[in-house]
Amino acid sequence: MASAITSAHDPARRRVTRWILRNSLLAGFVLVFAALGVAAPGFLTWNNLVSVILNEFTLAAIISLGMTLVISAGGIDLSVGSAADIASLAFIGLVSVHQPFRLAVIAGLSGALSVGAVNASLIAGIRISPLLATLSTLFISTSVQQLASNGGQPIYLISGTLPEAFYFLGRGQLFGVPMQIYIVTVLAIIFSIILHKSNFGRYVFALGAQPGVAWYSGIRVSSTSALVYILSALVCGVAGILLSVTVKAYVPQSGNAYLLWTIGAVFIGTTLHSEGRPSVAGTLLGVLLLSIVRNGLLLIGWNFYWQQVATGLLIFAILAFSGSRSREAS
Amino acid sequence: MSDVGKVPDQVRPDPLLICSNPPSLRYGATSSEESADLKFVCGENRMSTSILTEHPVQESRRTIWNSQLLVRLSSLLAFVGVMIYFSLAAPLFLSYSNVLNVVQQSAVLGVLAFGMTTVFISGGAHVISGGIDLSAASNMGLSAAIYASIIQAGGTDWIALPVTLLTGLIIGAVNAGAIVGLKIFPLLATLATMNICAGFELVLTQNTVVPAASPLLTAVAATGSFAVPNIVYIFFCLAFFLIILIEATPFGLRLYAVGGFREAAIAAGIRVNRDVSASYLISGVCGSVAAILSLSLLNGSSPGAGEILLSVVLVALLGVIVSRRSVPTISGTLISSLFIGFLVNGFQLTNVSSYWVNGVQGGLILLVVAGSSFSRRAAY
Repeated sequence: MASAITSAHDPARRRVTRWILRNSLLAGFVLVFAALGVAAPGFLTWNNLVSVILNEFTLAAIISLGMTLVISAGGIDLSVGSAADIASLAFIGLVSVHQPFRLAVIAGLSGALSVGAVNASLIAGIRISPLLATLSTLFISTSVQQLASNGGQPIYLISGTLPEAFYFLGRGQLFGVPMQIYIVTVLAIIFSIILHKSNFGRYVFALGAQPGVAWYSGIRVSSTSALVYILSALVCGVAGILLSVTVKAYVPQSGNAYLLWTIGAVFIGTTLHSEGRPSVAGTLLGVLLLSIVRNGLLLIGWNFYWQQVATGLLIFAILAFSGSRSREAS
Repeated sequence: MSDVGKVPDQVRPDPLLICSNPPSLRYGATSSEESADLKFVCGENRMSTSILTEHPVQESRRTIWNSQLLVRLSSLLAFVGVMIYFSLAAPLFLSYSNVLNVVQQSAVLGVLAFGMTTVFISGGAHVISGGIDLSAASNMGLSAAIYASIIQAGGTDWIALPVTLLTGLIIGAVNAGAIVGLKIFPLLATLATMNICAGFELVLTQNTVVPAASPLLTAVAATGSFAVPNIVYIFFCLAFFLIILIEATPFGLRLYAVGGFREAAIAAGIRVNRDVSASYLISGVCGSVAAILSLSLLNGSSPGAGEILLSVVLVALLGVIVSRRSVPTISGTLISSLFIGFLVNGFQLTNVSSYWVNGVQGGLILLVVAGSSFSRRAAY
């Protein structure tokens, strides 16, 4: 709204800068792609791009979908990794004692849902700040995992004894395309319908922009907010199950690595939108950009240490270019 | 609508008045920075939006006040209860040396949390656009790595100390520049610097332990008068200095004004950018001070410093509940860092599995926080 005033003062200049700013993510994307294509010969091969998508992109993208929803609602979910870990724990725990595959999946998803339900009741019920509520959930789930895994022992599955569906979810292909890509695509479509095409999505954005006004407009603020955190936990559960079928193990605290990454991706994605709102497409592009940078630097031969520096600088650069708009929301 | 008369002029010229009126201040923040925009646009018609956001509060101000008192008492009761339980369960718990030991162990977390608290104060409580310094822990890691590397390379304390403090200052300045200059959300700006710091630390140390021994570090780790470790003196001196700076000087008052209601602070003529920058510089320096304390405790820099970030956030948020007005304070953070320290120590002494520590921390915080107004205001 502040921009409406400033743009009235110098419309022409504003429009030019606006155009550049709006496309900073796309420009950065093209630049990174081109630079890596030149610098790392193996980068632009089909096999490598598929491996980027499978190894780096899918899980982070799924978790980021939930985070997009939460950030759109003006909150934050620090317990995404916990939900994924708890789902992985329940899923692998049941698979390892030869329970039916479907039961294990349902148990995994309900494990994640329980994390979401705790978040929802704390945030929408008792009205604790999302930052504090999800941080506490994160700490509690750390303890739960330590107690359940005897202090952080991974649970490995023995290959050969696993159900067929397990391999299909992990390595399976349909028409030459890996299953996990289908899952990401379907979830992304569902989430963009929820967020951008449904009434619920408009309530979510209203909640994020002006909670007080949303309340006065008759939006059911509590149930909207509760549903947001439950949906976020649910997709994290899906990510947790996919993570465990990929590595055939439950590794405690492995989900936390995604936390800051996904927050960064969602906000990089907001630079795509003219008002700096989170969007599903922007988030996916953000995750893709970060995973491509990781993969490309690895191919160039930079080690993990420099990758972190480069990722930080990249986030900085993109946000700096679009900074004037990202602040408008405040 | 009968409350129209009660809605006070939101833009007050005196920061003291802004700070001394927590309920309205709080709901100024509830409507959050978003409605500040609206007010800006609405101009003279500001009153209508104020009513929108203030109305629910006016009804329940008394109940909120009562619940605040209850919450503060319950948090103190929790603290006292935990202390009594541990002192009964473990006779050594309240011994002189153990108490000093706990304070010494809490110092690193506490100093980092001081910086985080300062940033919370100046940035307000909005979940996404509010003040936060995610780079605090990796700043400590990088500072410690630089100090240890200089000592390893044959440098003396006289080189290492200024360079380390300068590192923290530069990180703080980068954060401040990004947040104030480029207007990036603190959450993201510090997320980026966190990555950069963690990366540089790994490049410098190759993810290994870098041992460091120097006269200064030995002196910091030594025990001073009254058998009190020097780290405890440093911790308390820093706490005392920051309490004076933030709770008893015009600068501190301005920080609260800026964080509580930014537009009002601007209208009151406060140079908001300068004060917000100062808070990130303080947080940066706290990072390098914590680095020196951890170096002397651990005899070197060790990888993985970034892992305590969430604990730092937790301690700083927990400190809010202890304070009378339910705002972040340095003294509250001091108490909460000691509380967490005593909790962890008590678990060790009573032979409770350390697996429980995280969960009990989280659970206690939820228990104590459930009614606090700071925790509520950002929800909606």
